[in-house]
Amino acid sequence: MVNPRALDRRRKSIRNIRKITRTMELIATARFKKAMDRAAAAKAYTDRITALVAQLAQAGLEVSHPLLEARAETKKAVLLVITSNRGFCGGYNGNVIRTAWQRIQELRNEVPALDVEIAGKRGIAGLKQRGVTATHTYLHFEDKPRFDEVDELATRYLDAYATGELDRLEVAYTKFLSASRQVPVVETLLPLGSLEGLEEGEAQSPAAAGQGTLQYDFLPSAESILEEVVPTSFKVRLFKCFLDAAVSEQIARRVAMKAATENADGLIKSLSMEYNRARQGRITSELLDVLGGVEALKS
Amino acid sequence: MAEQQSHSAPAGALRCVVVTPETTVLDESADFVALPLFDGELGVAYNHSPLVGRLGYGELRIRQGSQIRRYYVDGGFAEVVGNVVSVLTERAIPAESLDVQAISSQLEANRQRPANTPELMEIRDRLVAQNRAQLRLARKA
Repeated sequence: MVNPRALDRRRKSIRNIRKITRTMELIATARFKKAMDRAAAAKAYTDRITALVAQLAQAGLEVSHPLLEARAETKKAVLLVITSNRGFCGGYNGNVIRTAWQRIQELRNEVPALDVEIAGKRGIAGLKQRGVTATHTYLHFEDKPRFDEVDELATRYLDAYATGELDRLEVAYTKFLSASRQVPVVETLLPLGSLEGLEEGEAQSPAAAGQGTLQYDFLPSAESILEEVVPTSFKVRLFKCFLDAAVSEQIARRVAMKAATENADGLIKSLSMEYNRARQGRITSELLDVLGGVEALKS
Repeated sequence: MAEQQSHSAPAGALRCVVVTPETTVLDESADFVALPLFDGELGVAYNHSPLVGRLGYGELRIRQGSQIRRYYVDGGFAEVVGNVVSVLTERAIPAESLDVQAISSQLEANRQRPANTPELMEIRDRLVAQNRAQLRLARKA
């Protein structure tokens, strides 16, 4: 027979764990909302930059910039992997690491020199296991990446790209598509390829409808503004990678903790049932003992 | 863009919006805004013609009545449309919170950076220019 007291102890410990997972779920929900707000604030900036590019394109400017053009030969590449510092978030880190690992193997064949940079403890540990040593590691990106911190990285990449020490920058992170869908991706950030808003601007220019009729003065010149727009949009895109990763991490954690809490609920239920049965069984057997004793005395 | 158009300025005054990637720093009406453009300061008063400008490192001054607010902006862009001045910058720091001591030591460190190729020289010059602009503003505040 199962010991009811042992069952009760197990049930208690599961209840405690459930309390923890439930709290973590609530915290993740709150953080997710905050991270979403930050992403929305960043979107205001991105949208304006996009609009600016559209205006430049409308003005009939030839858009060319060293950051937009691919180098003929890629000698040195950097892969930045964005993971989280903490676990308890389901497959979040595993997915990013798997995607990054695949890309690392491809890049090793294509590019003579490859540096891997990793943000987040989980990524560092996960890739170390696969024999990848990171040239740079970052632990200070938590659920609220600050622009200053990302700017530091971005400026370093831009400077390295300008001096020819870097020909290609790729970022592996979890892209936030919607609250129910986040996918691990590898994106090429340098060379930048194209600017967002360019096509819209060009499409609008012949029609020159509505707001397109506004004649802007460009100070000092459209070319000079373009010179600044391109690095800025790179920085913003890198910042967005970090924001996306932060939002996705919180969502992943919330989902994982929710599943854990529900599982704990199920376990408590089945353990309670088992416990009650065991207790009842014991009472019944004790009663039988007493009755047996009475019977024995009678005869 | 559509969103920007829907916000209109109060009559007779400008509306000044300062946006950084992290947040909207400032969104209020103003009588006069001085923008630190790439090649010199530009004053914007009511009914200014539409313009897009590249910002340098320097002081953004916003006057509302007799009150003047100063910010250090770290490059970026300014757009003036329909009496709305939008400033897009990576950093906007209120002048009061600049620290002369810290900036001076940073400037000293940045001046020592190697500059043996044109690219490195450009990087050094940029950092030094940023620090100098911060210092100018910090001393004034």
